[in-house]
Amino acid sequence: MRGLATLFGRVVSRFGEPYAGRDVEHRCVGPAVSAEQPRATTPKRVKAVPMRAVRLILGSVAIVSLAGGCADDEQAVTTVLRVANWGGVQVESDFMTLEREIREEFERQQGVRVQFEQIPGHGQYAPKLLMMHVTGSVPDVVTLDASSAAVFIDNNVLRDLTPFIAGDPTFELDHYFENVVNIARRGEVLYAIPLDFTPMVMYYNKTLFDAAGVAYPQPGWSWDDFFAAAQRLTVYADDARGGPVQFGFNFENAAPLWMPLLWTNGGDVLDPTGKRASGYLDGPKSVEAIQFIVDLLEKHEYGLHPKRRAAFGLDPFRAGKAGLDMKGHWAMIECRADGLDFGVVGLPTNGAERATVIYEAGLAIAQRAEQPELAWEYIKYMTSADVQRRRVASGLAISGNKQAAAHFAGNPVEDAFIEEVNYARPPWGATVERYPFVEGLLKEMMEDILYSDGKLSVEQATRETAKLIDAALAEQ
Amino acid sequence: MNTSGSHNWRGYLFVAPATAYLALFALFPMLFAAWMALHRWHLLKEDHPFVGLANFTAMFADPFFRGAIYNTLIYVAFSVPLGVVTSLAVAMLVAQRLRGVGFFRTLFYIPAVSSQVALSMVVIWILLPEQGLVNYGFAKLNALLGAEIPTATDFLKQTGWAMAALVAMSLWIGLGPRMIIFLAGIQSIPETLYEAAALDGATGWKRFRHVTLPLLAPTTLFVVVTTTIAAFQLFTPVYVMTEGGPRRSTDVVLYHIYKEAWQKFEIGMASAMSYVLFAMILIVALFQFRIMRRALSEGAPA
Repeated sequence: MRGLATLFGRVVSRFGEPYAGRDVEHRCVGPAVSAEQPRATTPKRVKAVPMRAVRLILGSVAIVSLAGGCADDEQAVTTVLRVANWGGVQVESDFMTLEREIREEFERQQGVRVQFEQIPGHGQYAPKLLMMHVTGSVPDVVTLDASSAAVFIDNNVLRDLTPFIAGDPTFELDHYFENVVNIARRGEVLYAIPLDFTPMVMYYNKTLFDAAGVAYPQPGWSWDDFFAAAQRLTVYADDARGGPVQFGFNFENAAPLWMPLLWTNGGDVLDPTGKRASGYLDGPKSVEAIQFIVDLLEKHEYGLHPKRRAAFGLDPFRAGKAGLDMKGHWAMIECRADGLDFGVVGLPTNGAERATVIYEAGLAIAQRAEQPELAWEYIKYMTSADVQRRRVASGLAISGNKQAAAHFAGNPVEDAFIEEVNYARPPWGATVERYPFVEGLLKEMMEDILYSDGKLSVEQATRETAKLIDAALAEQ
Repeated sequence: MNTSGSHNWRGYLFVAPATAYLALFALFPMLFAAWMALHRWHLLKEDHPFVGLANFTAMFADPFFRGAIYNTLIYVAFSVPLGVVTSLAVAMLVAQRLRGVGFFRTLFYIPAVSSQVALSMVVIWILLPEQGLVNYGFAKLNALLGAEIPTATDFLKQTGWAMAALVAMSLWIGLGPRMIIFLAGIQSIPETLYEAAALDGATGWKRFRHVTLPLLAPTTLFVVVTTTIAAFQLFTPVYVMTEGGPRRSTDVVLYHIYKEAWQKFEIGMASAMSYVLFAMILIVALFQFRIMRRALSEGAPA
């Protein structure tokens, strides 16, 4: 049985590695293996001479079983640091090349290998990593998405970083944005160091504003200003058939995108403790905010209704068919690439304090990491000012490192983003384990309202959804 | 035949790999799932309190789970009969001795060897408003006939249409395998029976009705049962095309189980739901067996 298990393990370690394209290495550090062990059975040779390979593997299994350790080749054992990140296979881009170069520098500095494990699939990142945690195969470094951080933090999946910080005189937590750091904080315990982040802001198309003769929105603007701008930016074709050809506002029904508008009216999805939605989602302030959105889309038609969306392409804002759009920093890459003349401003408010949400990626160390010390070195390296300056130059996000972020100060767009950090709150998913599920319910609620042809009132929809959310949160 | 004990062990040796495989990857997970179904089992929590049948009572009190059962039954009710009839029709067509019929058989079989994710993407594109093939076709028709068919219908975002799209897709994906089985059944019917029927003056339809169809009954039973089981287990197209929407109209049981397990991490509840799905499939399959057996015994030649 032992031999069989080892054989299985060996085959898996040879071919089952998620990392492709380089020599397969063993992470296992075992006692020195007998010199009689056949020389490396590289995957290449296995393919070329199958029968011989089988004999070699069987032979080595016998030896390994006797040696009682982990099989390894005679080559030097390279330490491997495993890093988990979301995203799938992509077309090679300058940013990917840059990221790889940055990792390779770390590899050279430390004499180790970084195994970068991309986990593809919409909504698959958290489940896959949690499963890896349960089965004890979780990577050392976990890229933590603020929107789903709670389930990791509150289930002992990650390590407390404060001992690493305390024991490392070269690391200064003060160098990072405080309210971004606090996303992964539970009292004195800190679970992640910010890599990069973005507050949600309002993008506006300057060309369309100029054409309509509307002044650009200014920080501290109100819903009334927003409504008036959306109205004047809505353009009909000459024969006025079939609705507007250009909309004031591009609406997309994803809860992470529209939820901040509740905050700008003093409303919220959940109560401050994050335990229930009744009295909050269906409270007057939230209902007013959702009604404002629905009216904008249905009564006034100044916003692009999801029913019409398909005819306006993948991104109506980028296509110049919508004047205003709520987006994060990431949208800048494409807007710049398109040569769009755009500006950004904080979200409009309606009597309440300025508010927005921060979406963030942090780096954390898995509780079951095999290389915690090396993982810490990696986190320090990746979040350092130098590396961050190079990474965020792409326009992807704002660096969590204030020094790196300051490097881009003076650019009006960057400054507008930085200003919003002062008003930004973490997403509910950072503290409420089930919030990603709640976001699904919110999306369905909005869909129910917008596809009911006015039959389902906002009051009723929010009341019913609040009850569903309460039930889902009470189960936790 | 030697059945003495001294030789039996060789037989066990031969079935040992398959038995071990089934025990490890089928029997054990099934039993373990039954165990989990009786517990409040969160993926990440240390303790898993025993809750008896509470998961089952809770799921039937949940309107969304009942909705998922309803959606699944709707899907089964449409996709199974339509799927069986269309594949039988296609099998009849490609059973003819025609030049190049192999080409058509291959063509019909291609979806079966393609990834369901890729096929789902193709269907998404076909159904796109304006640019999609269907809506583009409507626009062409409008131009040709002066009709006024809407060309911006977003089929996957409308409650009735989204389910219809899933049913239509199931006809396409499942066509190949069902067609091959029917084809084998058709080709195993002795030619002499058709000759005898022709001598008795039976025309094309009568020959089909009184010769082909009765003799295909065992094949049909097999196709109906396997198609039904597959229909109850609909998942991939839902995951890729609709995510259970719009308005939960395509939230079928297996997708609901997936969300329970991987969005809520309630593995115990998801296991309990899996057993309910299992029971549903079992009941329907037994029912089908009974009906078909009766039909078989009635239809059999005296």
